[in-house]
Amino acid sequence: MNLISGIDVTAGALNAQKTRLDIVAQNIANTQTTRGPDGQAYQRRVVSFETELLRHQQQASGAGQSLQSVKVAQISTDKTPGQRVFDPQHPDAGPDGMVQMPNVNLAFEMVDLITASRAYEANLSVVKNARQMAAKTLEIGK
Amino acid sequence: MSLIGSIGSLPSAHLQRLPGAGGIGGTDTQLPTIRTDGVGGASGVAPADFGSVLEKMVSAVDTKQKEAADVTRKVLLGDSDNLHQSVIAMQEAGVAFQLMVETRNKVVESYQELMRMPA
Repeated sequence: MNLISGIDVTAGALNAQKTRLDIVAQNIANTQTTRGPDGQAYQRRVVSFETELLRHQQQASGAGQSLQSVKVAQISTDKTPGQRVFDPQHPDAGPDGMVQMPNVNLAFEMVDLITASRAYEANLSVVKNARQMAAKTLEIGK
Repeated sequence: MSLIGSIGSLPSAHLQRLPGAGGIGGTDTQLPTIRTDGVGGASGVAPADFGSVLEKMVSAVDTKQKEAADVTRKVLLGDSDNLHQSVIAMQEAGVAFQLMVETRNKVVESYQELMRMPA
């Protein structure tokens, strides 16, 4: 019984955007992290999405209609080198006194954060509207 | 009679695909069983009495409510962080419940209409 149409698709999108928000949070949190588990400075993560075929609805006319949701394809690492700053007091400073900083750009992350949260909001309004449509349909009987 | 019958055969077409058609205690004794043999056969659906159709519907709604409660409990206990799935499940359960109530209202309305007939 799928009373609220398209809700699976939207749920997948919400999931994906939430993952993206988590990754942005991780990037922002690690803006100053100069030592990761591998001993290197943190490298920012980038999320990419891919479509996910939910189900193939066979219509009576023979024409198929497919529902495509979205899921996180992979979380890759941004390999661009980060800033190097001169700080001989730093515990992670090299022999030349230079410290490798993470390649996180706070401005980029802020833009990503806003995009992710707006996309999440957009999907939430789809949920809201789908629910309202179902409720309106039930009002036929009143 | 065909009015109530058509209500019976309409949801049964959807409900037959539903999983978890477990019995709900007490529904048999409370509900009048209305035969829809003639109408059900016309629409190509196997004839089912309205009581069992409604029972299936009630159990489907019950399953949905339980699913929603399960997801919500998982979120509250920290097993899952998918807040939206919990809310969506609750909304779905709410809409399913509304549909059930709406169906019941319509049936009761038809029953009362019939009861008024001799007057």
